[in-house]
Amino acid sequence: MKFSSLRYLVSQGIKNMWNNRVMGLASFCVLMVSLLLIGFSVLFIANINSLINVIETKNEMVIYIKEEVKEEDARKMQVSIEKLDNINEIKFVSKEEALDILYNGMKNYQSLYEELENDYDFLPFSYNIKIKDVSKITETVEAIQKIENVDTVYAPYDFANVLTNLRKIFSIISTTVLIALATVSIVIISNSTRASVFSRRKEINIMKYVGATDSFIRIPFFIEGFFTGILAGITATFITWFGYKSMIEALTAEVSMWNIIGVGGLLAYQDIDVIVVTSYILTGAFLGAIGSVISTTKHLKV
Amino acid sequence: MVDLKNVSVAYNKGTEVIRNISLCINDGDFAFIVGASGAGKSTLIKLLLKEVNALSGEVKVNGYDLNKLKKRRIAKYRRTIGVVFQDFRLIPTMTVYENIAFVMRVIEAPRKYIKQRVPYVINLVGLQDKAKSYPHELSGGEQQRVALARALVNDPKLIIADEPTGNVDPELSYEIVELLKGINQCGTTVLMVTHEHDLVRYFGGRTININQGTVIFDDIIEGNKNSMGIDDNSEENSYDEIAEIKELNNLEDAFDESYDAEEFDEV
Repeated sequence: MKFSSLRYLVSQGIKNMWNNRVMGLASFCVLMVSLLLIGFSVLFIANINSLINVIETKNEMVIYIKEEVKEEDARKMQVSIEKLDNINEIKFVSKEEALDILYNGMKNYQSLYEELENDYDFLPFSYNIKIKDVSKITETVEAIQKIENVDTVYAPYDFANVLTNLRKIFSIISTTVLIALATVSIVIISNSTRASVFSRRKEINIMKYVGATDSFIRIPFFIEGFFTGILAGITATFITWFGYKSMIEALTAEVSMWNIIGVGGLLAYQDIDVIVVTSYILTGAFLGAIGSVISTTKHLKV
Repeated sequence: MVDLKNVSVAYNKGTEVIRNISLCINDGDFAFIVGASGAGKSTLIKLLLKEVNALSGEVKVNGYDLNKLKKRRIAKYRRTIGVVFQDFRLIPTMTVYENIAFVMRVIEAPRKYIKQRVPYVINLVGLQDKAKSYPHELSGGEQQRVALARALVNDPKLIIADEPTGNVDPELSYEIVELLKGINQCGTTVLMVTHEHDLVRYFGGRTININQGTVIFDDIIEGNKNSMGIDDNSEENSYDEIAEIKELNNLEDAFDESYDAEEFDEV
């Protein structure tokens, strides 16, 4: 195809957006609403995941070192523990620190503490660690236990189980919801583009009779759908930007609620803006263009 | 040239709409195809446009064997044919100029040539003042003239006119046929489907009558031009105009001519 023909077809596509503005507006609205529907669902899921991640970081395991191990040797064990994949944070707890912890937990038994203060050598050295993935807690504990001089490992199995199950359930629900929304969106978008093309089936028919090739007919429809999709993507981006920011502001205004899990659990818009803009525009352009092209196929069989 | 040999066409249900037709229309011929509704005229046109395939027999048009014509070659084949429909089939979102220029765009004609050729053809069909009008702003007769201009702008070997006078006033019907006759005089084969027997009687010429899918009459009939009170000179004038089309068609280097096409500039 000559460059001049391509230029003509692109200009025809853009002109057609105005010529068929009523059906075009309908396609634009359907695309935009679908993008928003999926976009907000993805953002909701991403935020819930982010909150679960924050909660996950609250996990804490304690590794007790055998009583007979000297402090120097106990401190050297940090290297072996850190080599394990799932370790996020590690902190050595000396006997003095262990005594302080004990004291904080036994404030009502002051006399008992005074006795211990003179002889606390029986307290073991320990490590407080936080792991990256709580679903792998069992494997991590097993790996730690294999390290020489490790006595016992205290791990919050219940906490890990609850979080793992929560993540699994949420993952199933979010995947199902997203698939359902995507299916509904594709059906609606396909119907709207089909209706838009159907209203111009005679036009396609005429083009076929005068000897236009399928690609010659499709290109303007492709361009029309492509730009409609881009416009829908841009509009959806603005709505999301405004809606999401307002929502986050409203939620974080209630500070006490977030003290438990921390405001950092919610995704800030500036952290996701590039992904949002790119995803909306690319998805809009893709759905608009492909939807239009597929819808013309039926009418090209002349 | 249109050459059909023992051609039958059937739709899905199996009923033959065209039965064993043999027909030869030579280059430069003008033929009327007449017949009642359901006789198979439209199917014959669909067959010639490769919209339907023959169940049996040979179909050769403009050097193409339609039975062997691959799908991807259909567009190229159709460019050798100009088609005029009863319902005009103009693109509603395009002006008169754009509708006609579109078929030249399809064959990727140079822009300069399109700018010369389209206004010329618009002049020939007498619509120079309507170049920027949209189809809905034109009368039936004017729309059909645009359709005619579109059919002949690429200088096709064959023009198929499917009841071109069906949606226009009776007086205009004669003008439309005059234009077609003029195009034919320039060497283009014209096949006109009609059920208006008055027109056929007036103009005369080769007439093919189809009934229930078979040719029941194929002969030349005498025209009777006195019967309708039409000025005979109009045909002559029309022929003169159409002769000019041929002249322009032969001008390969016509691009440098000082034809003023500015007022028809594409929007």
